[in-house]
Amino acid sequence: MSGDPPTLLLVDDEARILSALRRSLRREGWRVLTASTPAEALRLLDEEPIDAVLSDHKMPGMSGLEVLEAAARRRPNAVRMLISGWPDEIPAGRLEALGVRALIPKPWDDAELKRVLRAALSNS
Amino acid sequence: MGRAREPVRIVVAEPSPREGGGKLGTVEALRRIGRGVRIEVVHDAAAAIELARSTADLVIVDRDLGAEGARVLAALRRSGPPVVIVTPEATADVALETFKSGAADCVTASADYAEVLPAVALEQLRAWRAKSARRAVHQRIRSLERLHETIVDHFPASLAVLDAEGRLVTVNPEFERAFLAGAAAEGRPLDGVLPADLLASADVPDLLARALAGAARTPRIAHARDGENARAFDVRAEKLDAEGRILLVLADVTERERLAKNVRDLRGYMENIINTMYSGLVVVDEAARVAVANPMAEQILGEARGSLKGRAVRDWFGAAAAPDGCIARTLSEGARVRGAEGVVLRADGKSVPVAISSSPLVDADGTRLGAVVIFPDVSELVQLQSQVLHTEKMASLGRLAAGVAHEINNPMGFVHANLSQMEEYLGDVARLLDAARSGPEIFASLARALDAETLLADFGQAIRESQEGSERIRHIVQDLRAFAYRDDGEWVPGDVNRCLDSTAHIVWTMMKHSVVLQKEYAALPPVRCHPKQLEQVFMNLLVNAYQAIEARVARDGAGGTGVIVLGTATRDDGVVISVSDDGAGISPEHADRIFEPFFTTKEVGEGTGLGLSTSFEIVRRHGGTIRALPRDGGGTIFEVFLPLQGPDGQTPQP
Repeated sequence: MSGDPPTLLLVDDEARILSALRRSLRREGWRVLTASTPAEALRLLDEEPIDAVLSDHKMPGMSGLEVLEAAARRRPNAVRMLISGWPDEIPAGRLEALGVRALIPKPWDDAELKRVLRAALSNS
Repeated sequence: MGRAREPVRIVVAEPSPREGGGKLGTVEALRRIGRGVRIEVVHDAAAAIELARSTADLVIVDRDLGAEGARVLAALRRSGPPVVIVTPEATADVALETFKSGAADCVTASADYAEVLPAVALEQLRAWRAKSARRAVHQRIRSLERLHETIVDHFPASLAVLDAEGRLVTVNPEFERAFLAGAAAEGRPLDGVLPADLLASADVPDLLARALAGAARTPRIAHARDGENARAFDVRAEKLDAEGRILLVLADVTERERLAKNVRDLRGYMENIINTMYSGLVVVDEAARVAVANPMAEQILGEARGSLKGRAVRDWFGAAAAPDGCIARTLSEGARVRGAEGVVLRADGKSVPVAISSSPLVDADGTRLGAVVIFPDVSELVQLQSQVLHTEKMASLGRLAAGVAHEINNPMGFVHANLSQMEEYLGDVARLLDAARSGPEIFASLARALDAETLLADFGQAIRESQEGSERIRHIVQDLRAFAYRDDGEWVPGDVNRCLDSTAHIVWTMMKHSVVLQKEYAALPPVRCHPKQLEQVFMNLLVNAYQAIEARVARDGAGGTGVIVLGTATRDDGVVISVSDDGAGISPEHADRIFEPFFTTKEVGEGTGLGLSTSFEIVRRHGGTIRALPRDGGGTIFEVFLPLQGPDGQTPQP
């Protein structure tokens, strides 16, 4: 890692969620990229030096787990995290197999979100 | 004996008159015996012998016939009627010679010939008749013996004659074959010969004792086990004579007993079914009168045990027994009716809903004898149907709640996050206000540090986005309230397009990720309906279409979406609503069953299996029809027809 700020990719099909997440994190000093479709997320993963991915789970066409699977292939070192309104419905086995670092419930607690992301990006 | 009435026949063999025959006056003498004597005169041995062997009782031979006479004697010597020789004059030699040659007597034509000859003839006739009678008796006895032997030898039952002590005297071949296997019979006690289980099961010793005492003979059935095979015997005993000999008859009736048992079993089996079936069953004759009724029929019809026979079915089945009713049609046309809705009107005033099935009763020749009517009591089913409707409503509300929660969660999430952030922004604004009081330089410095311009802009943005989020939540809650409370349970003129729209709006949240929804509505007249129930139907059809698309997407792998087309049109006196999807489709083997209650192809917990059957029921109550058609290019089209006036002229229960 050089002196560049770490790059975080946020994926959610709901633009207002991306907007609120970005707002929460604006003072963290990270470079925050957003994608409102899985396809866009994959493109960014290919093009940008991404250090961590936080993806919504239930999205049209591709689930968050599938996005993280693609991320693991493209950038194995990027920290993988999920955010979901129904965290209990996501199979724990798959989370473990994919090495998902955190599963954040929606709605989220801002302070908790920042704490988790700081921890993830500090040792990425 | 029959012969006694026949005329006595006497053959007279003498030379022809031309050769001097008849001069003795033999024929005349014989006529003195009296009426009833037929005398035939012949002139040669051949004629005499033929007559003698066929019908004659006595032959008189004139010695003047010479050698011919000797031939007659020789021919009749061993068998045949007696022969008496008449001779013009006789010496002792002549007499001796005639006796030696086999003649029965010899009469000399002396002066008293006319008296002597009839006397001799009568005596010979008597002797001959007695001998004939004895021979006839012997013959009859011999023939009876042969008959008896033949019967006994070929009698298809085992016969044994026992002495008074119960020992075998003689047995027939069938008995030997069945019980002796070639061993000697005579003198053996029955114990060692007949199987013990046979003797015991019919108590044969007791049977023999009763026969010996002359008691009335009652056949008994005995059972014996012959290896694997159980055999049955009809056993009888009969006292034969004063010495106490007994005839024992054992007829193998295994096959008869087996058939009889089969008939009994079959009858019991059928009675069992009829008596325990959970449906009323009556067999009616051609005059529609009850011939047979099972206990359940008595219970449903509310009548006493055994009181139905002979009564007219129209006493209870008003409509079904009417001329155009199903029972009447079975009787008149041989029509088969299955599960027709009917009502039993009982004498106690109660009415019971039943499903009537009626089939013709025909004999082996195909002649109609009446009808078999089966009618389960469906009152519980009717109750259950309304419960199912309620359950399904609850289930669809559950699915709806899950979809709604999902839809509320996103705006809730960002409004929640924005509020935290706005709290932080407010803190920044407060600090800026403090700084402004402290002096313009301090303020300018802090404003730079906080990037106040951006902060204010984003504060406003956060407020707008949160307002939008809360507005979305408000809209969802409004929809939900509309769905839950609008229907007042009465038949009202409803706007089917609006029902369809509001349902689509509610379920849209659940399916928007994988479905493109197209609406092809026609302008519709109002339909007499329960709008809330129709919405339930539409929701089930939409959820079904959505799940079919999900199933197809999952099957094909990779992501994908589907298209649902909602269409409405007018047709005849009603409207047609179609819900078309390009999902997985319905496999042909399921097509007939999809409207059955509890039929589901979904995983446990995913579907109650009640959605389509409930929809079917609701549509039926609206007087309409629902059907599923395969869509060209894959998928399914559900088509609902609703008559504008609702169910005919009446106001059915909702």
